[in-house]
Amino acid sequence: MPSQEEIYTKVSETLVEALNVDEDEIKPSATLQGDLGAESIDFLDIVFRLEREFGIKIPRGELFPESIFQGDPDLIQDGKVTHKGLDELRTKMPFADFTGFEKNPEVNAISDLFTVDMIARYIQAKLNGTLPPPSDN
Amino acid sequence: MKLKDQVALVTGGSRGIGRGIVLALAAEGAKVAFVFRGNQAAADALVQDVAKAGGTALALQADVADPAAAQQCAERLEKEWGRIDILVNNAGIVKDDLFVRMEPEAWASVLQTNLGGTFSFCKAVAYTFMRQRRGRIINVSSVAAEHVNPGQTNYAASKGAINAFTRALAVELASRGVTVNAVAPGFIETDMSQAVRNKAGDLIKKLIPMRRYGTPEDIARVVVFLASEDSGYITGQVLTVDGGLSLGAAAV
Repeated sequence: MPSQEEIYTKVSETLVEALNVDEDEIKPSATLQGDLGAESIDFLDIVFRLEREFGIKIPRGELFPESIFQGDPDLIQDGKVTHKGLDELRTKMPFADFTGFEKNPEVNAISDLFTVDMIARYIQAKLNGTLPPPSDN
Repeated sequence: MKLKDQVALVTGGSRGIGRGIVLALAAEGAKVAFVFRGNQAAADALVQDVAKAGGTALALQADVADPAAAQQCAERLEKEWGRIDILVNNAGIVKDDLFVRMEPEAWASVLQTNLGGTFSFCKAVAYTFMRQRRGRIINVSSVAAEHVNPGQTNYAASKGAINAFTRALAVELASRGVTVNAVAPGFIETDMSQAVRNKAGDLIKKLIPMRRYGTPEDIARVVVFLASEDSGYITGQVLTVDGGLSLGAAAV
């Protein structure tokens, strides 16, 4: 089992490759979209590369949940994530840090949850087998 | 040489426009693998012709309508030459018939070969192109997508779909340095168009402002351009190469 540090290093390398960014742009708190300029196709590329790098299979929607973006009125209203939506995100992304997001859960801010650190924690949980079982998403 | 040491894959390569494309890419220094369905003799002859001209070609037998074929071809290429830079989706068939008596099979097989083949081969190389941040996809369409002929609902639909597919895929891959374009030939001197040319005789030539049919080389030169660095800022375009046919001017 790789250490936390080894995982972070490998994740950083993967992101440098996938996003064509400089190593010094990669910080734990850097957001994939805002800070590192990732587009939708990059998210797919990141998933493929992580699968290869760590020898794991990442089911669709496990690392980057999609259901919340589909505009279900139970989950999203007036551009904000509802309580139910927030619960859903927490369940699906136990590896994400919601501290800042909870205060102002705007839909547009969901992308800020996707940070370098979040990916590293996801990989850790994945390798430890502590992720929730896949839902019907 | 514009394509020195690059590796190209051309579907429907052994005859007609595809043969011209294989020869032209090889003449620019690319190593060219081409897919042919049945005509082994034509394929062997082309490999020899390329070799005689000092180039390198490899013939791969496959039916592009088979969804598994593309992946196999891409893997073979990776094994053989270790890279791929250019994909030309040229394989296409016609099964003309008036719509009211067109068999579902004639519809399905034309769509599956022309559009399905294009999809499968793009799928087989897209991620590799994405990762290497470089790649050229050129789809061979037809003026018949926009300037339609009776008896070609299946063919026109397949080529119109290729044009739309070309634009949509171009948008997805543009940020990765991969360009996706199409060439839309008019009447070209090939086996495929021979029956129509025979039947219509000079009538068609009168519709072409340049008063001549196109040659495979006319198309191949444009494909070379779209495969080369010269076209680096062009993506999602359908380039019509038809001697002015689609301008719709009547003979004077």
